[in-house]
Amino acid sequence: MKRRTGLISEYMSTQRKRRALLAGFSLALGAAITCQAVLLAEAVNKIFVERVSVSSAAVILGLLLAVMAARTLLSYGNGLIGLHMAADAMATMRARVLRKMTQASVPSSLRGQTGSKVSVALDAVDEADSYFSQYMPRMMEAAVIPVLILIVIFTQHSNSGWILLCTAPFIPVFMILVGLQTKNKAEEKFAQLAGFSGTFLDSLQGLVSLKLFGLARRQQQEIERSSLGYRDATMGILRIAFTNTFMLESIVMLGLGIIALELALQLLVFKSLSFHTAFLILLLVPEFFNLLKNTGTAFHSGRTSMGALRKVEEMLAEATEESAAAEQPEAYEGGLHRMPPTIELRNIRFQYAPGMFGLSVGSLSIQPGEQIAIAGKSGAGKTTLLHLIAGLLKPAAGEVLVNGRQQTQIEETSWFEHVSYITQHPYIFAGTLADNIALGAGRNVSRAEVVQAAEAAGLASVVAELEQGYDTLVGEGGRGLSGGEKQRLALARAFLKHPSVILFDEPTVGLDLHTERILQRSIAELAGQATMITVAHRLYTIRQADRILFMDKGEILDCGSHDELLERLPQYAEMVKAGKGEQHE
Amino acid sequence: MNELAILTKAMLQERKDIVMAILGGFIAGIAGVCLFATSGYLISQTVFAPPLYSLIVLTSLVKILGLVRAAARYAERLYTHRATFSMLSRLRTAFFAKLVPLTPGVLNQKRSGDLLSRIVGDIESLQHYFLRVAYPPVIVVMVFLATVLFTSAFSIWIACLFILGMLAAAFVVPAIVMLGQRKNHGRVREQRSALSTEVTELLYGFRDLKVYGQLQQRGEQLESASAALTAEQQAAARHLLRGQSLHVFVTFLISWSVLTLGALLIVEGSLAGVFLAMLVMISQTVFEEAAALATLPAYKQDSEHAAKRLEETVRAADVLAEQPSGKLPAGQAVSIELSGVSFQYEDEWRPALKDVSLHIPSGSKTAIVGPSGSGKTTILELLLKLRTPAEGQIRFNTTSIQELDEAGLWQAANVVLQHSHFFRGTLRDNLLLKEEAHSDEALSAILNKVQLPDKLLDDMVYEKGENLSEGEKQRLALARVMLRTGRLWLLDEPTSSLDYITEQRVLRHLLAQAADDTLILISHRLTGLEAMDQILVMDHGQVIEAGSYSDLMKQKGYFYEMKQIELQMIEGS
Repeated sequence: MKRRTGLISEYMSTQRKRRALLAGFSLALGAAITCQAVLLAEAVNKIFVERVSVSSAAVILGLLLAVMAARTLLSYGNGLIGLHMAADAMATMRARVLRKMTQASVPSSLRGQTGSKVSVALDAVDEADSYFSQYMPRMMEAAVIPVLILIVIFTQHSNSGWILLCTAPFIPVFMILVGLQTKNKAEEKFAQLAGFSGTFLDSLQGLVSLKLFGLARRQQQEIERSSLGYRDATMGILRIAFTNTFMLESIVMLGLGIIALELALQLLVFKSLSFHTAFLILLLVPEFFNLLKNTGTAFHSGRTSMGALRKVEEMLAEATEESAAAEQPEAYEGGLHRMPPTIELRNIRFQYAPGMFGLSVGSLSIQPGEQIAIAGKSGAGKTTLLHLIAGLLKPAAGEVLVNGRQQTQIEETSWFEHVSYITQHPYIFAGTLADNIALGAGRNVSRAEVVQAAEAAGLASVVAELEQGYDTLVGEGGRGLSGGEKQRLALARAFLKHPSVILFDEPTVGLDLHTERILQRSIAELAGQATMITVAHRLYTIRQADRILFMDKGEILDCGSHDELLERLPQYAEMVKAGKGEQHE
Repeated sequence: MNELAILTKAMLQERKDIVMAILGGFIAGIAGVCLFATSGYLISQTVFAPPLYSLIVLTSLVKILGLVRAAARYAERLYTHRATFSMLSRLRTAFFAKLVPLTPGVLNQKRSGDLLSRIVGDIESLQHYFLRVAYPPVIVVMVFLATVLFTSAFSIWIACLFILGMLAAAFVVPAIVMLGQRKNHGRVREQRSALSTEVTELLYGFRDLKVYGQLQQRGEQLESASAALTAEQQAAARHLLRGQSLHVFVTFLISWSVLTLGALLIVEGSLAGVFLAMLVMISQTVFEEAAALATLPAYKQDSEHAAKRLEETVRAADVLAEQPSGKLPAGQAVSIELSGVSFQYEDEWRPALKDVSLHIPSGSKTAIVGPSGSGKTTILELLLKLRTPAEGQIRFNTTSIQELDEAGLWQAANVVLQHSHFFRGTLRDNLLLKEEAHSDEALSAILNKVQLPDKLLDDMVYEKGENLSEGEKQRLALARVMLRTGRLWLLDEPTSSLDYITEQRVLRHLLAQAADDTLILISHRLTGLEAMDQILVMDHGQVIEAGSYSDLMKQKGYFYEMKQIELQMIEGS
């Protein structure tokens, strides 16, 4: 019917036992359905035609009740199996998605929107649920039970069997027609609906400006107008779907009518049929059609699920190629101790994607304890170079050597134990202030150590303002911190870590003066026992550096001290002048 | 139930469609019951060898009923969906209208995005209310009552049995489903949002976590959160399944009881045997129609939840005070006075403004500078009456802001916010927001002044100005206010995305136009402020320095030091 996606077949192969159980239950359910009809017909026949006493029909009535109970239980059981399969599938799938997320490389973690990734992990996996909990059990039932019913009817009265056999194929055909005609358009409409919600959201977000210009009223009319327009367009499509459903139900009704007529003729004119058989067939036929109709609904939800599954698969596939490329290095300390290491770059080339910005760097050696500033225009590749040195990005060619050892050969955790990276926008996790600082250590640290680090980073004055001090909740759902406070928190993390390598992305925006002073002082203090590599935006930082790497268009143009570069590199002199130039304008 | 008032109102407005839908649903339901009743009766009749024509009539009836049912279903579907979509549109519009007077008060700055998307989602989830909560019981009750009435003509006892069964299907089964479900439902929601938050944190803080070696641990936490969610989801699904199975069993039980009771009644002689098959078939059909009742509570809970949250958001709208009638003097520059003004955002833990006092003489040009988060924008919001100060007084000339009508204030002010709104239309439409009369030449001249000489008035602007760069948007926003006649200029970082040269040109035109007006400019840069009469330096919600550019530079205080840092910045575009 539909090509199964890899994930499903992969998962299904582990579920043979449950599928067999599902098939067994369906068979039993089919038997229960036919038994129920037989017993019901028998009971009515006995009471109405044969006019036996209630007590003599008691056995049949008792049996009927038992069969009804069994039927309920069996269909409940089928549902349960479906639920279990769905729960297992969702758990494994979500675990895989999450594992891919945590094991992803930095560039792939930056690629794409965070929102859409979260939505894959939650919404798409949730949507996949109905494939296992609805589609699988219904399809199994539809494959087994109608055949069973058909066989029973054929044994009882072959004419009715032939009528069913002729009308039944129309149902899946029409179901698929309904699906094909409306599915694509409906998907389009749903996308439009999402876009429409987006418009509504935009209007809400722009509400302040709309209000100030006295336009709120006009926007309200606009929302109403486009909303109604959307309704009319959608109704057009729904009308097609409903018309098809109408045709479908007409066919079912027609089939039922023909069978009723045929039964009546057989009973009355040809007298070739007993009441019992006729009533049995009349009871079985709606069951037969209902099962087929269920298939259609299940088919629809199954297809929606498959779409969601494909999203999950795409994400998993994307992550696989990267984790496959990264070979697992042995746990090797690489001679990393508290001493700053030598870092060498050899003919490194890197590209985010074919045709996109590329970076290529020749040979470069950074001595222990050296202070390096990376300067250049925005977009020159400064942060990319920093990421390559940090090992957050893997070069496409060439290598980074740490103490003469290939960085890829050093286990990530042991390397990062010695590195601090202070970004422009440090992330504050939901938790207490102390937890956020302690994150820097990567081990259990005492409160005293946290306090000491906070003091060194100039956070003590902020903490003093807080009622709960270091136990104040910050981050999402907690108290908001200003940009300057976040920077200082990142510094505190670094103080706690005693790194031998510091990577620093200097803020481009003006922070408050207090933070600016602390940044300069604390960074100098931290750099005392470490190699420091800074993406510099301040002249002050550049002047302080031992060496400046001046970058342009993904290449290091020159490397030297401030005075050297000023003398021999016109682009550098120009940049320095432009920075100063503004004041004379 | 009060929360659903807004829904009830929307439903009332769609009553025509709803009546049609109910009609269709009723006919479809009744036709279904009749159809199976007729076929049951037909089969039974044949035992007595009736004349052929009566049989033909009955079988034709079966066919006609079948077609009527299908057609009525079609109408029902059409009308219910149309009503639902119309309601959704009404809800959106009504909600927007309610939100207008509350902005930006209800929308906390930082989380406004979250809140807004929640509002959108909530309104969407309300669309199920009619289709799955309000509508099904109406149909079930109507069809059922008709059926009971019909059945009572044959046997009052069986009719009673139906009523008993329906009570069980409508109340007992949903009650069992709801038992524990209420708690359960909340837990799934909680687990889900917890996992969502954690995944988001992992992605946003990925680089930090990696460098600090925390990824592994976070990953394990995530997996256990995910397992917990799956367990809760499964528990909830099992609950629902149990409800559905119970409903099916009740249906079976009723059929069985009809059969047994019918047998007793036939023996007793109070029921003709020919009706037995018909009654059994009726019982099966009518309870099948009621299947929607089993899932109704879950949807009801969802809708109520959404409606409640929406109601909470707009509750203040109902108690909104009348606007005072005070107006700013027209065609005259005003002076502004703040004395002891403090303000704190609702979800923030420290005040945005602390005891701010300042004086802005009429016709003066004032710049406000300071690090981000120091309270610059808050002053502007207070001046525009978008927010109300917790303490202190704001006066325009001698009139307190409390005595001024907000719409009049906005009319008199030329405002550029940090993010200006643009909508789909031509450039001309976006410039002429009011029905002001400006010739195309005047508009083109303004475009020249804001350094957009290449733009044509007929150029298309996409929604939210998506086809414009940040710098273009800022210049268009400036052009827009330069077309207005207000004498009070309030500008929040209007040129932050422009390069220095363009910025100076645009500002020169702007200052020339505002020569005699009162102007407040929040600036992200300290350059080009020499022409200002007054510079206010803010930090941590307080004005810490004030004076002209040369005064402040001479003072060698905060401003001077900020200036030194700015001079240190390279590539400062």
